Amino acid sequence: MRLFSNLLRPGLIFYTMLFFAFIYLPLALITVYSFNANPVDMMTWTGFTTEWYWQVLGFRTTVSETSMYIESTGQLIAALRNSLIIAGSTTLIATILGTALALALYRYDFYGARLYRVLMFMPMLVPDIVLGIALLIFFVNAGISLGIATIIIGQCTFLIAYVFIVVSSRLAGMDRSLEHASADLGANEWTTLRKVVLPQLMPGVAGGALLAFIISMDDLVITYFISGTDVTTLPVFIFGMLRRGIKPEINAIAVMMLAFSFIVASLGLYLRSRQK
Amino acid sequence: MSAPLRERLQLGLLLGPASIFLAIFFLVPLGIMVVTSFLAPGLYGGVEWEFYPHNFGRILGFADPAFEEFDPVYLEIFLRSMRIAAMTVLATLLVCYPAAFCISMMSQWWKNFCLFLIALPFFTSLIVRLFVWVLILRQSGPINDVLLSLGLIERPLEMIYTEGAIILGLVYIFVPFMFMPVYASVEKLDWSLVRASQDLGAGPIRTFMRVILPLTAPGIIGGSVIVFIPALGNFVVPAILGGAKVMMLGNLIEQQFLSARNWPFGSALAMLVMSVMLIVMMGFVLISGRRKGRGA
Repeated sequence: MRLFSNLLRPGLIFYTMLFFAFIYLPLALITVYSFNANPVDMMTWTGFTTEWYWQVLGFRTTVSETSMYIESTGQLIAALRNSLIIAGSTTLIATILGTALALALYRYDFYGARLYRVLMFMPMLVPDIVLGIALLIFFVNAGISLGIATIIIGQCTFLIAYVFIVVSSRLAGMDRSLEHASADLGANEWTTLRKVVLPQLMPGVAGGALLAFIISMDDLVITYFISGTDVTTLPVFIFGMLRRGIKPEINAIAVMMLAFSFIVASLGLYLRSRQK
Repeated sequence: MSAPLRERLQLGLLLGPASIFLAIFFLVPLGIMVVTSFLAPGLYGGVEWEFYPHNFGRILGFADPAFEEFDPVYLEIFLRSMRIAAMTVLATLLVCYPAAFCISMMSQWWKNFCLFLIALPFFTSLIVRLFVWVLILRQSGPINDVLLSLGLIERPLEMIYTEGAIILGLVYIFVPFMFMPVYASVEKLDWSLVRASQDLGAGPIRTFMRVILPLTAPGIIGGSVIVFIPALGNFVVPAILGGAKVMMLGNLIEQQFLSARNWPFGSALAMLVMSVMLIVMMGFVLISGRRKGRGA
C-alpha cells in the first residue's frame, strides 16, 4: 500500500503539471509566434518583428505583397466599438432586470415563485445555436431589421439569467436580521431597501454585471445569427477572418485580447479575494 | 393605499419588466421555432402554412416521398454529434479528475492559485483560444514540424479538419466546466472512509471503485451534463477545426439558415438538439433526486 501511494503522489503531481501545460502552453506559443516575421507561415520562425502589432493598431498602412490584406484597421476598430456599445448596453439592462427579479423572488413569497426559479435556468441551458436561430426567425417574422438593437435584445435574454443567479446567491447568503432591525428602528421599506439591502447586495450586483459584460463581449453564436449584414462585433469579425484563412495580424489581435482579458480577470478576482 | 396592494404593486414593478422582456424575446421566439419546425419549406426560402412532419422525417427516416428518398446523411451527422459530445465528456473527465485530486491535496494558497489558473481561460475570448489550435494542428504547425524533423513521419499528418481535432478543441474550451463540479465533490471527499476501506483489506482498485468513485459521482455527473449539452449543439468548434469535412448538427443548422434557406428543416434540427438536452436534463434531475432520497 505504501509503495502504491509513493508511486501515486509524484504521478499525480506530474499529471497535474501536464494538465496546466495543456491549458497554457498553446497560449504561450501563440504569444511567442505573434512576433514572428514570417508573413506566410506563422509557425516557422524567421525573425523577430513587431510589424503585425503596428499594422493592427493602424500605425503602419504599408501592405506587404505577400499578405492578402482584406481587413482594414478601420473595420477592426468599428467591430471593437460595436462590441463595447453592445456590452455596455446589455450589461446595464441585464443587471437592472436580473437584480429586480432576484429581489422580487427573495422578498416576496408568491404563487409561481418556484416556477420562476426553474424558468430562470432555461436561458442558460438552451443551446446558444437554438436561441440564436429562434431569435432570427422571430425578428425576421416581426419585421425588425437586424442590427445593434437586435443583438442587444438577443444577448439580454440569457444575460438576465446570469445576473439573476449571481445576485440570488448573494441574497441567499445575506443576513436578514439587519433588515428586521432596520424595520424595528422605524425605517420604511424603501429606506431599508436603499440603506440596508442594496449596500450589502452591491458586490453581488457588481459581480453579475462584470460576468454579463465579459460574456457579452465574447458572445459569438447568438450574435452571429442576429447581427445582420452591416454590423459585426469583435468575435464575429475574428470568426469571419478565420474562416477566410489565417494571417499574422490575427495573431497580434489574439495576443492583445488575451493580455487584456487576463489583466481584467486577474484584477477582478484579486479584488474579490481581498473583500473576503 | 392598503399594505397588501402596495406590496403587490412593488412586486409587479420588480417582476414585471423582466417577465415581459423574457416572455416576448425568449419564450415567443422558441414557440415560433417549434411551430416553424412543423411547417413546409417554401420554394424561395419562406414557409408554407401547412402541417408538414417531413422535416423531422428527413432526419429520422420518413422523408417527403414527393421530393426525395430518405438520405441517411442527416442521421449520420446527428449520431456523429452525439458521439463527439460523448467523447468530449469522457476526455474532459480523464483530463480533470486526477488533477482535481492533486489540487485538493495542496495547501490553501496553492489551491486558490490553481483554481484561479483554471478559471482564467473562461474569461478570455473563446475564438482566440480556438484559433491557437488551428495554428498548432495545421500541416505546417509545430507538431508536424517536430515529428518531421525527428524523422518519425515522412509526410505531415492531417490533424486539423478531423473528428479528433474537434474533440480536442471542445475539450480545451470545456475543461473549466468539468473541473469545477468535479473538484467540488473531490474536495468534500471524506478520506477517513477511504482509510477505513483500506484497513478493512480492500485493495486500491476496489477502494476506488467502491468508495471514491461513488462519493465523487455527483460532481462527475454534474460536470458531464454541463459539458455534454453545449458540446452537442456546438457550432464554432466544428466550423473552425472541422472545416467542411467533419460536420456537426450546429454546422448543419447554420447551413439551413444562412445558405440553404430551409428554415423549417433547420428548426427541426434545432428541436432535435433541444429534445436531447431535455432528456439529458430529466435524467440528471431523476438521478440526483434518487441520490438525495437515499441520503447520498
